Amino acid sequence: MKIKVSILAFILVLLPLLTSRTFAQVQTRIRTIEASNVGSSVDPSLRDVHDDLGSLFNFTSYRLLRDESVSLTLNKPYEISAHREVSLEVTLVSQKKNSAQYRIRIRRGPSELLNTQVRLSSGRTVLVGGPKHGQGIVILALSARF
Amino acid sequence: MRDPCASVSELLERYFDRDVTDQEKTFVEGHLRDCQACQDELRSLEEIQTLLKAPVDEAARQEDFAWVWQKIEKEIQPRESPSWWESLRAWLGVSSFFHKRVWIPAAVAALIVILVSAPFLMKKTPSQLDSSVVVYLESDTNNVMVYEPEKENVTVIWLFEGPDKESPT
Repeated sequence: MKIKVSILAFILVLLPLLTSRTFAQVQTRIRTIEASNVGSSVDPSLRDVHDDLGSLFNFTSYRLLRDESVSLTLNKPYEISAHREVSLEVTLVSQKKNSAQYRIRIRRGPSELLNTQVRLSSGRTVLVGGPKHGQGIVILALSARF
Repeated sequence: MRDPCASVSELLERYFDRDVTDQEKTFVEGHLRDCQACQDELRSLEEIQTLLKAPVDEAARQEDFAWVWQKIEKEIQPRESPSWWESLRAWLGVSSFFHKRVWIPAAVAALIVILVSAPFLMKKTPSQLDSSVVVYLESDTNNVMVYEPEKENVTVIWLFEGPDKESPT
C-alpha cells in the first residue's frame, strides 16, 4: 500500500510537466518550392504566395515540389528530402499559446549547411532558401496554424 | 464450614444484575433450587426493581423524544454521504496517510522537480527576441542573410551557396 501511494503521489506531482512536454502539437504547413529562371511559369497552387515571392526574389519560375500539412510534436524531427543530396529537417522545439518555435536544419550530404531557430506566430511565414536544386534553388515555406 | 446461604447472599445481587461468572451462576442456581430463603431474597430483589422501574417507564412514556431524534438525525445526515476527498482516501485506503511517512518521498520528488525546473521557469528571455522571428542562426560553411520586410508578413533566411556545391542533376 505504501508503495502504491508513493507511486501515485509521484505521478501526480510529475503529471503537469509530463503532459505539457509530451502532448504539445502544432499544425504546421511546409511547402518546398523550386525557384529558377528557366521558363516563366508559376505553379497554380502557389498563387497565394506568388506576390510575396515576386516582391522578394528575382526568379521567373516557381514550382511546388511538396506541400505538407503536418501535426508536429515537440522535439520530434520531421525530415523532408528536397533533393537527392539536400535534406531539410524541421523540429518543433517549444510552443506557446499564440506562437511556436522551430529548429530548421539543412544538410547537404553529411555537412550541415544551416542550423536556425525561428519563432512563428499565426499568419506569419518563414522562407528559408538558397540551397541549389537543379537549375534553380529550393525554398522552404514554413507557417503554423493555432 | 461457611454457611452456603451467606455465600449465595453475597453473590445474589450480582446474579440478579447478570454480573456473575458461569461458575458462580451454576453455584447460585444450584443453591436456589433447594433454598426457600434465598428464593425469597431473590424475589424481593425483583419486586424492588419493579417498584423502581414502573415510575421511570411511565415518565419516559410521557416524554416526547421526537425532537431529540430529529437533532440526532441532522447530525448523522452529513456523515452518511462522505465528501469526494473522504471517498478518495477510502478508495486508496489512505485514511491514515498523513500520519504515516509516505508523503516524504512525494515531497522530496516535488522538491527535486521544482529545483530542476526553476532555472527554466525563472529564465528571462531578452525582450528584443519577443518581436524577432529568427531566434538563432548558424552556418559554418556558408554566408547567410536574414531579411524581414516591414510590410509583408514574411521573413526570409537566405543561404548563399556557391555554384560548385551543386552536383549536376
